[in-house]
Amino acid sequence: MFEQFLQFVINGVVSGGILALPATAFSLLYGILNFPNFAISAYITAGAFLFYALNATLHLPFWAALSCAFVLSGFMGVGVDRAVFKPMRGRRHLTLAIASIGLSFIMENIVRFIWGNELRSFDLPVARALKFGAMRVGKEQLLILLTAVGITIIVQALLRGTRLGKAMRAVADNPMLASVKGLDSEQVIRRTSFIGAALAGVSGIMVGVDTIVEPLMGFKLVFSVFAAAILGGIGNAAAAVSGAFCVGLAEEVSLIWIPATYKSAVGFGMIVVVLLLKPSGLFNRQTAR
Amino acid sequence: MLSYLVAILTFVFIYAILALGLNVQWGFAGLVNLGHVGFFAVGAYTSAILAKLGVPFPWSLTAAVCLAGLFGILVALSTLRLREDFLAIVTLGFSEIVRLFLLNESWLTGGANGITAIPRPLRSLFEQGYDVFYAGVLGIVLVLLYLFLERVRLSPYGRVLRAVREDEVVAAVAGKNVFQFKVQAFALGAAIAGLAGAFYGHYLTFIAPEIFVPLVTVNVWVALIVGGGGNNKGAVVGAFILMGFLESTRFLKDFIPMVSDFRLAAIREILVGLFLVVLIIYKQEGLLPEKPVTDRP
Repeated sequence: MFEQFLQFVINGVVSGGILALPATAFSLLYGILNFPNFAISAYITAGAFLFYALNATLHLPFWAALSCAFVLSGFMGVGVDRAVFKPMRGRRHLTLAIASIGLSFIMENIVRFIWGNELRSFDLPVARALKFGAMRVGKEQLLILLTAVGITIIVQALLRGTRLGKAMRAVADNPMLASVKGLDSEQVIRRTSFIGAALAGVSGIMVGVDTIVEPLMGFKLVFSVFAAAILGGIGNAAAAVSGAFCVGLAEEVSLIWIPATYKSAVGFGMIVVVLLLKPSGLFNRQTAR
Repeated sequence: MLSYLVAILTFVFIYAILALGLNVQWGFAGLVNLGHVGFFAVGAYTSAILAKLGVPFPWSLTAAVCLAGLFGILVALSTLRLREDFLAIVTLGFSEIVRLFLLNESWLTGGANGITAIPRPLRSLFEQGYDVFYAGVLGIVLVLLYLFLERVRLSPYGRVLRAVREDEVVAAVAGKNVFQFKVQAFALGAAIAGLAGAFYGHYLTFIAPEIFVPLVTVNVWVALIVGGGGNNKGAVVGAFILMGFLESTRFLKDFIPMVSDFRLAAIREILVGLFLVVLIIYKQEGLLPEKPVTDRP
């Protein structure tokens, strides 16, 4: 029983690591552009399929395909921002949220048009799982966790230590003041769009390494992403990471009590509970607006 | 050909009712609902399940409207005191939870197989022409609902909702209980979606979770925005345009041969999404922009 519990905890940490990436992305985009970007689900899916094309079709090795997919996803995010969100700067933020739903439909169906609805998996060597007593840790799971944690650390360092990070926080805090101080807010938005879409794309790849890729994979993950971001305190990228591990653990450990078919309801339940009890989030020192 | 037109008209009426419901929330009160299909599904399943148990149509319809409205109240209560963005996320989540419930609770909903042989009200009275009758009844329901919502829009109540939409602080300063008005508007819109759902299920005689997908919500948004949010006429006109658009994409097959079915389906969804995004960017006020309401003498 205890070992079964530990197994769920291990799985939870891994899925928390995967969630940390898009949760950070969602919070960054929310902070800068001030609306919930529902297209993040399509960014996740698109990243996974870009990797699929590079890895399974063009036979690039893992790290080369990952790097290429990262960069391509990022440019896709910049392009999407230029085409859809830039013409709407200054509009009511809810209107942008509705547009982002339409956008996610467009992108998901482009994926469906090209690759169809089949479940696919990457072209990766099958590795034997490491065993600790009755617990199993797949080599893929270790790879996912290390990659996710590594990227998360780099992004957090970028946010805290560099001029770009400072500029992003300044624009998120007060766009008017930032532009008075001579910051090019469009440039900050472009870079944030790049980082956001690239992070979401990599998380899609991680999901694909762990399980399978299909056009709805992003949409299936997206409520957990929202839950992580809201749990952390929406718009706060550092807290989103803590939120992600909480949501990942809660989703896996709850499988002890609830049927797996309702797993995706756990994230939604957490959203509602947090919004009712502590809408500013659990890891946020600022107050909710 | 006639039966095709009657069927299309029935779907137009259903979408018009859905769009009118969304218009109460978004057009009147400025509340974003990305899970309209969830309330639609609650209405359809409630009425269908009760009807299969032998409950007469008027009562199953009433129950569907009430239950959808009740869910509207619950969803609204959970987030309406917070930033509007949270409502967007929670409504979308709500519709997915509804779909999950419909898929998994087979004892009640039939699971993925759905519910079949839903009785059609007054079917036995008609030898033929039942579909025309049903479309006629639905048309009357639509007209009544339209007239009712026009009254709401022009009433002092509608004025308060618009005030809440434009600036809730001002509305609150003027002594209005903003929260209460928002909950009421959201619940009314949800109940209207439930109404549409009940009529939809009894018309199709078959419902399943695969019908109640997020695409339906996107369709309703297209209808509302193309017609013009904030005025009821726009919502109804938008439903006609939407259905014309959806039906015309069916004929894509004739123009693009050699494309498999899943690709055609993908193209149709891309077009719907593109339609929505382009509309929002370039013509947000729609074909029939909301006119300022002046007090009648």
